[in-house]
Amino acid sequence: MNEQRKDILDMLAEGKITAAEAERLIAALERDQSPAASSLDARPKGKAKYLRLMVHTLEGGEPGRVDVRVPLQLLRAGVQLAALIPPQALDRANAELNKSGVPFDLTRLKPEHLEALVEHLDEMTVEVDQPDTTVRVFCE
Amino acid sequence: MPQSVTVRVERPEGRPIRIWVPVLPVVLVLSPVVALAVLGAAVACLVYRVSVVRALGAGWRVVSALPGTRVDIEQDRTAVLVAIR
Repeated sequence: MNEQRKDILDMLAEGKITAAEAERLIAALERDQSPAASSLDARPKGKAKYLRLMVHTLEGGEPGRVDVRVPLQLLRAGVQLAALIPPQALDRANAELNKSGVPFDLTRLKPEHLEALVEHLDEMTVEVDQPDTTVRVFCE
Repeated sequence: MPQSVTVRVERPEGRPIRIWVPVLPVVLVLSPVVALAVLGAAVACLVYRVSVVRALGAGWRVVSALPGTRVDIEQDRTAVLVAIR
């Protein structure tokens, strides 16, 4: 049995949610999981075109869903745009990052490094499963 | 370049709102504003010593790459969808 479906049934058994809420959650799960599962397991091995972020949450018995699809081409274009940021702006950003306790030097982040990162994104899949939250990041 | 932007808002109360925006006619109508924005961007590039041609090229590539973007958010029986084609 699917882990999330089991969680919903467990919550129903424990009386945390009503039968109507459980039905709605399972329906939402089925609706959202079918395209996600197919895109994860049976997606073509060719070049990925989109970065997909899917988040399912359950707050107070109410299901929440975020589904974002971003073309990888947009990320590449964004990298090229980011390469135009003037050095003085990067220095100020570095100073603010340092102040916030993140000692990160943005000037050392070269566009070619980001390009390589975007190129290899299609091999990446991130899945985070928690009882009330599921996050999936993958390329399709 | 994007052809259209679809915005759909569903709320528990009231009818769902669905807006379809054809990009090209809207850009044509707003062309004076777009021209001013491009001019402002070019001046900003000159002030910050950034190549105007590279900046406009990168901006155009971002706009051209927008089709296919889709943001779909659903919470508490309220759903918002923005899709660019």
